[in-house]
Amino acid sequence: MSHSTVTKDAPAIGPSKTWTSTGRSKVTSTDALRVVILVTSALLALIPIVWLVLGSFKTPTELSKRPPTLLPESWGLSNYTEAMTRFNFPSYLTNSVIVTLAATLLTLAINSMAAYALAKYNFRGKNGLFLLTLATIMIPLQVILLPVYQVVASLGLVNTLWGLIIPAAATPTGVFILRQYMLSIPDELIEAARVDGAGEFRIFFRIVLPMCRPALAVVAILSIMWRWNDFLWPLVVAQSESVYTLPVALARFTAEETVPFNLILAMSVVTVLPVIILFLFFQRQIVTGIANTGIK
Amino acid sequence: MAAIQATPRLRQRKAPLKMRLVPYLFLLPNMAIFGLFTVWPAINGFNISMYSSSNGRTFRWEGTGNYQRILTDEDFWGIVRNTVVYALAFVLLSVVLGVMLAVLVDQQRRGRTFFRSVFFIPVLISPVVAGLVWNWMLERQNGLINTFLGTLGIPEVPWLVDNTLAMVVVIGVGTWMQVGFYMLILLAGLQSIDPSVYEAAKIDGASRWQQFISLTFPLLQPSILVVVVLATIHGFQAFDFIYTLTGGGPVGATTLIVQYIYENGFVSPIRYGVATAGSVLLFCAIFALTIANWMIGRKREAA
Amino acid sequence: MLGACAPGQVDGQGSGASPSAVQSVDPAEFAGKTLNYVYFTDGPDAAATAQLISKFEEKYKVKVNLETLPYKDLVTSVQARLSGGNAPDVVRLTGLTDFRDDLLDLRGYLGEDYAKEFLPGPVVGATGKDGKMLAVPSDLTLNGPFVNVDMFKKAGVSLPDPEKPWTWEEMIDAATKVQKATGSQYAFAMDKSGHRLSTVLNQYGTALVANGKSTLDAEKAKKALKPLIDMMSDNRMPRDFWLGSGSRYSGANEIFLAQDAPVYLFGNWQVGQFAKNAKFEWAAAPNPCADNCGGFPGGKYMAALQQSKNPALAAEFIRFMNTMENQETFIKAGGFLPTRKDLAEKGVAYPDRQADMDVFLKDLARTPDLGYAANSDPAFTGSATELVNAVSDVVGGKKDLSTAVSDLQKKTQSLVEELH
Repeated sequence: MSHSTVTKDAPAIGPSKTWTSTGRSKVTSTDALRVVILVTSALLALIPIVWLVLGSFKTPTELSKRPPTLLPESWGLSNYTEAMTRFNFPSYLTNSVIVTLAATLLTLAINSMAAYALAKYNFRGKNGLFLLTLATIMIPLQVILLPVYQVVASLGLVNTLWGLIIPAAATPTGVFILRQYMLSIPDELIEAARVDGAGEFRIFFRIVLPMCRPALAVVAILSIMWRWNDFLWPLVVAQSESVYTLPVALARFTAEETVPFNLILAMSVVTVLPVIILFLFFQRQIVTGIANTGIK
Repeated sequence: MAAIQATPRLRQRKAPLKMRLVPYLFLLPNMAIFGLFTVWPAINGFNISMYSSSNGRTFRWEGTGNYQRILTDEDFWGIVRNTVVYALAFVLLSVVLGVMLAVLVDQQRRGRTFFRSVFFIPVLISPVVAGLVWNWMLERQNGLINTFLGTLGIPEVPWLVDNTLAMVVVIGVGTWMQVGFYMLILLAGLQSIDPSVYEAAKIDGASRWQQFISLTFPLLQPSILVVVVLATIHGFQAFDFIYTLTGGGPVGATTLIVQYIYENGFVSPIRYGVATAGSVLLFCAIFALTIANWMIGRKREAA
Repeated sequence: MLGACAPGQVDGQGSGASPSAVQSVDPAEFAGKTLNYVYFTDGPDAAATAQLISKFEEKYKVKVNLETLPYKDLVTSVQARLSGGNAPDVVRLTGLTDFRDDLLDLRGYLGEDYAKEFLPGPVVGATGKDGKMLAVPSDLTLNGPFVNVDMFKKAGVSLPDPEKPWTWEEMIDAATKVQKATGSQYAFAMDKSGHRLSTVLNQYGTALVANGKSTLDAEKAKKALKPLIDMMSDNRMPRDFWLGSGSRYSGANEIFLAQDAPVYLFGNWQVGQFAKNAKFEWAAAPNPCADNCGGFPGGKYMAALQQSKNPALAAEFIRFMNTMENQETFIKAGGFLPTRKDLAEKGVAYPDRQADMDVFLKDLARTPDLGYAANSDPAFTGSATELVNAVSDVVGGKKDLSTAVSDLQKKTQSLVEELH
């Protein structure tokens, strides 16, 4: 971790126990300002989410109070249980989990293989394919929704979980991130393995892939986030309730004419929390992974 | 002919067929799915843009009719203006805030892990939920923000019903949702700068601000370029959260181009050809901008 | 050459099947088959539908898959399925516009005279070109005002008499008085919807479109919209609500349920939900009169798709769900109005809120035909959106009323040309 030498000397601001009184460096006003800005920004980042969670425990009457109350009267789970019994919640949840996990695994597998080819081999069409991959990041789904659906239908994948898992797995952003990371893996390692007689796939699987853990973590969390929050595609592909996912359920609430806002809040929390929790567990790898994608 | 003992170099030159096929095999699964589910439909979409259809199955040839219709629609140009304003502001804000937060986090020792991660959390939230929560918080009369401002003595602000304010809000929320991601990229760029570079500047007596301007900022260019490219793409595609936040209102002040495409494609009366023509235009715009960004960035690096 | 490159079927090659003689199918042939029914719900009707479906399944030994979708996404989803070749058999719709070319002509299965069993108004909306019967009207809704009885009583303002409906001026007057006396936030609330706005237009004797023509009368439209715009400029009607959701539909029911407005222009299909959720005494009120009385109709239809693998079964299902007995069960549960002549004559005894439903039934009799024609025109949905935009433009200060109305006329005209 590199720092400018200036900050190495400035002690962190904290409880008085850590004030050094040996006269090294005092807390500068810059440091105080920095912490104030950071803390305010962090609050800005978190408050909407905290407010969402607080609201999910409130009753409709509490929610329409003017001015709004801060904490809910009770921490009872009635909003959650009512939301869950309205529709076949366990089924939606299971589907979301299955689709997210399977799609992420598939994404990691095929994206890393493609990235490896683009990063470590020279072959005809390499640059063209890479540019094509980049270009398609720019196409929003709404634009190709119906043509994609037609393809899926002609393959017989409509109303199946596979129809939710496969089409979105070839994420161009994932390929981009992994390729950038793999570029920094020294070629000598691979050459040495080849000289030792290892097969190409073995090299990829045993040597290159383990070195890519941070990038894989990034692609994993991104894929989890995308698949978990995916709404338009599951709505169109899934035709029976048995294949619906959570965001579809949320959409159904917001579409009802008498919108039960407290239930919407509860469902929103359920859609938001799992991804956040996963991220918090793996934050170290994820952050390191993102770190190595920006540098060329 | 005497058999020549092949040297390792020669062996590499005459790569066996299996070796040459390997990269293609690695690429195959990804590109197959890619081609089937993204590229082919995109091409198909381009084809559709030259027809008109109200159901995606029966078509009527229009040639350039859809494009003409779009380019002569005065509402469309208003939407283009909104999109450009949003994208520009979004990119600018993303870079400025991203750099600022990255620098601050880099210099902060205590709680750095916390600060690194906390800004990323909004990135993980579904855009639909983000729009919903902010809409709720920005309600003029009962929303959290105005209630809080009220305690400071500030009268109610019409966040979502005033044209300009609504756009400001949209830009703000959009940035809130993404800046954590860009910050991490910039942070990594910061941390890869060789500290010895600053030694020389310190000896010369440069202030921290001067160090930043003449050293840090230029050395961050590659990362900033990546952020600009990604943010441009993101900015032009903004839709989901805006739709739940303002619905494109008030009176179309925050309607951006993807909403235009969505409404033509999915809201009665369905004009599927117009929707795909709009997407083709959008794609060309983003593509041109991305190439431009990239080339400007490359030139700067070379300089 | 064009056909070869076309992404789908090019116009002009469409199938124009003429109605064949009524096909009678032996019910025994249905046994073991499956039917897919795409549905959307307003709440209490779902249970009744499920119950009727069980009866149907038992009678014919078939399986019916009831797929309930969010109303907003129904069109997208069905379009996608049609383009993928796996369309459902039967669909519940609020209008035929998006699927006109894909619906089955039911006369081939239910006979030429079947339409005569239903009220003429709703049938207009179900009829396609050349008199094809593309759907069966399964239930009717009518727009109309609700009043907060508690607030009216507290203010000492008398409630309107269902036999002698109030006028628009009287209604606004009463609402304003109640607002002042009770200190409520607003006097009047209305959903942000072109359909609700058309109620007002209708009462002033004009409509957006009808019978394939743009029929908006500028003077009448201005007279109709002015009171609403005036109320929004001094916030007797929630202005923020109108401007705050862009082009999305937004319902003002929460405003009424929170007792922030004593009068709410809505419709009968939420009677069930209000009965459950309202914590105060409320009642349906007669539509205010201007040049006309009565409300603006909205209807739901059941239609079969041409792509259905079992058209005969689909048609039979639709017929079954709309027999007098079954339609009565359905509309009682959902608080909907009948579309069958025999039911309308006989009167329906609703389990709940009979008085309110009677108000609507009385208004039904007063409703002019113009409303039905307007609602069922293919250009109606698009024009309704433009109407909302026009009002928003005026409320937001972007245009004045005259300009907005004349722009609206132009847009409606071009929509009519486009969609006919």
